[in-house]
Amino acid sequence: MNSLTRRRFVGSIATLGATVALPALGQGPASGANLKKAIPSTGEQLPAIGLGTWITFNVGSNEKLRAVRAQVMQSFFDRGGRLIDSSPMYGSSEAVIGYGLAHVKNRGALFSAGKVWTPFKPLGINQMENSRKLWGVERFDLMQIHNLVDWSTHIETLKAMKAQGRVRYIGITTSQGWRHGDLERVMRSEPIDFVAFSYNVVDREVEERLLPLAAERGIAVIINRPFQEGVLIERLMHHPLPPWAVEIDCANWAQFLLKFIISHPAVTCAIPATRRVDHLEENMGAMRGRQPDTKMRARMTRYVETV
Amino acid sequence: MRSFPFTADVYFSLFDTYNDTIWPAQLVAYGLGILAVFLTLRPVATAGRIAFAILSAFWLWNGVVYHLLHFFEINFAALGFAALFTLQGLLFAAIAIGGKRCFRFQPDILGWSGMFFCLFALLAYPLLGWMAGHGWPRAAAFGVAPAPTVIFTFGMLVMLEGRVPLYLALIPLLWSLAAGSAAVFLLRIPEDWSVLLAGVVGFGLVACKRRQQATSRSS
Repeated sequence: MNSLTRRRFVGSIATLGATVALPALGQGPASGANLKKAIPSTGEQLPAIGLGTWITFNVGSNEKLRAVRAQVMQSFFDRGGRLIDSSPMYGSSEAVIGYGLAHVKNRGALFSAGKVWTPFKPLGINQMENSRKLWGVERFDLMQIHNLVDWSTHIETLKAMKAQGRVRYIGITTSQGWRHGDLERVMRSEPIDFVAFSYNVVDREVEERLLPLAAERGIAVIINRPFQEGVLIERLMHHPLPPWAVEIDCANWAQFLLKFIISHPAVTCAIPATRRVDHLEENMGAMRGRQPDTKMRARMTRYVETV
Repeated sequence: MRSFPFTADVYFSLFDTYNDTIWPAQLVAYGLGILAVFLTLRPVATAGRIAFAILSAFWLWNGVVYHLLHFFEINFAALGFAALFTLQGLLFAAIAIGGKRCFRFQPDILGWSGMFFCLFALLAYPLLGWMAGHGWPRAAAFGVAPAPTVIFTFGMLVMLEGRVPLYLALIPLLWSLAAGSAAVFLLRIPEDWSVLLAGVVGFGLVACKRRQQATSRSS
């Protein structure tokens, strides 16, 4: 069985498993149980909410601000979180994650998702090693090519690193809609485990091609910018939640928006970023309770379009 | 979208740490700034050389100490700014070594405009910052932080005797447009409207002075 065939086989089983694992609308889930999704290439389970660090963790060397981010990380792990995502592009975020990991009590569950963001092979190798040291991890669970920067060079490095066991999964990301065509070509041509792009209740272009393609190719999907960098949630917070939001156990807009994302069968994980423990608690709550079905997702879309 | 890698709160926290680290360089910078302004009023033999050396020191400090050693921690673009500020510092150093140019306050519209820019950078900018809640130690201090340094530089250039080389105003213009617009529109820092305006008006005054001198020369 070649790797792609195995990947497709495992992916199909995993996608099916993830779909089955979704608590159906109207059925009560086990209280406190987090929604987990399978990584298609291995079947490994990941909590459906991760932690992004763009802007929010870039606090420099200020001890007070670093300590607050460490509290956010502690709360994340305490609530069953695993995947933390960062990039050398995010200023001091990687160093702040390293600070947090050194100060939290239970970092054992960490699923580290780093990125390479530079042209040229030697610079990429140096950057990934520097990131590893900043995080203070033995190896990254996932290494991604950030915004497709020099992807044809780095993909060969990442494939070699994966073969050597220096990274468990490899992937590629973009947060730019105009790069979706390029991303699709990489998804079709390279044996990647993960892909990351933007998706939310108002930016749904990826439902047409990228999400179905990820499901077809057995690629795990990380969703970045679930709140449009806060713009979406600020727009909605001036409006009341619809009364029917209780049917999917939403207590706030963050959960409404995140449940919409993680209930898509092809989505593995969303990575909202936050600097506040109370916001993190809201975000993590989206993994619990009933999740929207297809009909409810359409209702959510229509509602947001009217407010 | 707010695609900017840090928040205003983190930006001013950086100044908190930075000001603490470099203290008392801020006092030295103020002293040098006042001296440079004084030299435009009482030109002595080496006045131009000293004033250009002061400008050079400000720009080199901002390039290396502020951008490279501190700001780069939270903003990858600081690397580019560090290179530009260092280049500007070297340009000023070259002119200081040449010793042929000097600054002179003339009591005309351009002279008063230049003096206004300098005094604004020394006095009004920190006051505006304090009023906006960005007072000491979270303040962008004169001479050791780019915003007041760039405003001050435009003031000095407008008071430069003779024709002002346009290349001396290019980097200050680029920085004030790029950093000023980011500060105003993305970080919502109200006092940095003055940076944006200083870039546009300051460059305009430099261009105006060049035209005025070209006209008087041809007539």
